[in-house]
Amino acid sequence: MDRDRRKILRYIGKGSVLAAFLAQIGAAGRAFFPNVLYEPPSRFKLKKPDDYPDGYTLDEAHRLYVIRQKDAFHVISAICTHLGCNVQWRDTEFDCPCHGSRFRPDGTVISGPAPRPLDWFATTVSPDGYLDVDSASDVARNFRLVIGGKGKA
Amino acid sequence: MGGKIKAIWRKTSWAWSPESDRESSEAIVKNFWLHWFPAKVARASMDWNYSFWLGTASASLLLILTVTGVMLMFFYVPSTERAYGSIKDLQYAVSFGRILRNQHRWAAEGMVAVVYIHMARVFFTGAYRGDRAINWVVGVVLFLATLFLSFTGYLLPWDQLAFWAITVGTSIAKQAPFVGPTIQFLLLGGHEIGQQTLLRFYVLHVFFLPVFVWVLFAYHMWRVRKDGGLAAVERVRNARVMVPKATPKTKSYSLFGITPGTSVQVMSSTGLEESDQVFSSPNMSRRIALVFLVVFNLTLLAAILFNAPLEGLANPSVTPNPAKAPWYFVWLQELVASTTVRFGDFTVSGALLGGILLPGFLLGVLTLWPWLDRSPQRAEGRWLAPERKRQNATFAVATLAIIILIMVGVYLRGPYWRIYWPGQARPETPRLY
Repeated sequence: MDRDRRKILRYIGKGSVLAAFLAQIGAAGRAFFPNVLYEPPSRFKLKKPDDYPDGYTLDEAHRLYVIRQKDAFHVISAICTHLGCNVQWRDTEFDCPCHGSRFRPDGTVISGPAPRPLDWFATTVSPDGYLDVDSASDVARNFRLVIGGKGKA
Repeated sequence: MGGKIKAIWRKTSWAWSPESDRESSEAIVKNFWLHWFPAKVARASMDWNYSFWLGTASASLLLILTVTGVMLMFFYVPSTERAYGSIKDLQYAVSFGRILRNQHRWAAEGMVAVVYIHMARVFFTGAYRGDRAINWVVGVVLFLATLFLSFTGYLLPWDQLAFWAITVGTSIAKQAPFVGPTIQFLLLGGHEIGQQTLLRFYVLHVFFLPVFVWVLFAYHMWRVRKDGGLAAVERVRNARVMVPKATPKTKSYSLFGITPGTSVQVMSSTGLEESDQVFSSPNMSRRIALVFLVVFNLTLLAAILFNAPLEGLANPSVTPNPAKAPWYFVWLQELVASTTVRFGDFTVSGALLGGILLPGFLLGVLTLWPWLDRSPQRAEGRWLAPERKRQNATFAVATLAIIILIMVGVYLRGPYWRIYWPGQARPETPRLY
């Protein structure tokens, strides 16, 4: 009986030292997953709707295209769904300079390696009159933000 | 005084031109610097045109890269704001900084090539049989580590190449099943490329990967000795094996009386003979010194003649058009660009197929090749042995396919990653960056 008890105590002793060792390795590894990220928010304001001309306008800082058709606006991501390069609008289609993906004006794939269409972002007008884009969203391809009355916005 | 210095020199150095066998062996066994070599090596493994000394060349490049790399660390600042400027300083403001960076860059590209050719040599001589299979696997891991070192290295200047290589590279990692997004988050240190990303790749490049490669290199060398030297030794040994003569039936005495059968007899000499071996000092030590000097001078010459590439400052808003990976990754770029497959609504991205599954499969086959190889032992240690025709053809075809993909990527791809044949006009594209 006594020997069994010693054996168990020995296992507990060795086991706890080993557990502490492994836990510290785990803790050190956990440090590499940041808790605080100093990254720009996924929802941001662009310019006022009337600052955009008709057609496709690239917003370089946010890597997206603002598309205006008279009073209707929508926003398409410029980030290729294949491997994240910036696609370029070339009058009739979007083309990617990294791996050659091609997209229609609505962002659907014509050809190339892109596995899915370009994202469409939910867009609203902020109370102070700016376009407000949520880049974490993906809205349907018939989404339009219609702004009634010229110059009102 | 002079005598004392000479005595200390003799104690700490070795006889560079040994005049006796004793001096030759003492250079190895009584000396710290050379003690990791065997006192004697097979004459066959000293042949220039058996191994082409590619392993020694790889090790030389590793040494050059380590020394130039540590020197570059005195000038480089791993900050997204200052990294690019510190490279520009090296190129234009630091005395001989240009040479330092150039040599580091060309030695790195050279190492990728030389390590691969070294692997090809081992393959074409069938030098991965039996216990050497372990070293083959170690070699494959070293090759992979060389590629990672190279990748993490060209991210550090924080130019356009760096930024878009991180973008594409970590996006490929994200495609890995289940763990992909976590790996990408861990590599970037967040969801976007930033200061954390640069710092992580920096520490990987200047500490973890080099230490890993040096330790594994030491193991690689140790295994070469434990496996009995280069496989060229097996060729010599095979030639020395004496065919046992047809022995007449004999009677031998067992515990219970006379039993018929054959008696014990010596059939072959297992080891090498005295005449097959030479002293490592000076036969090997001199060759190693020579190989190192040649490699060093070639990288230095390249450093003097050609500047290491440096694109514009990293700009997340503008992707270079076309954005090309360095030549040794262009074949992977071709693969990810052309392997997206669609079955109706179901799509498998080229990032997964060409970026992870296909290279992973190639790597798996390469690693397990010693166990897939069924060629006879007599093919070991011989260049392009006819018994290994199919194996060698497979390796050559795979290598050729990769070279063709590299050529297409480097020479034919133009703006928007379209094919432009030589002489065909390429459209002007805005260069904003």
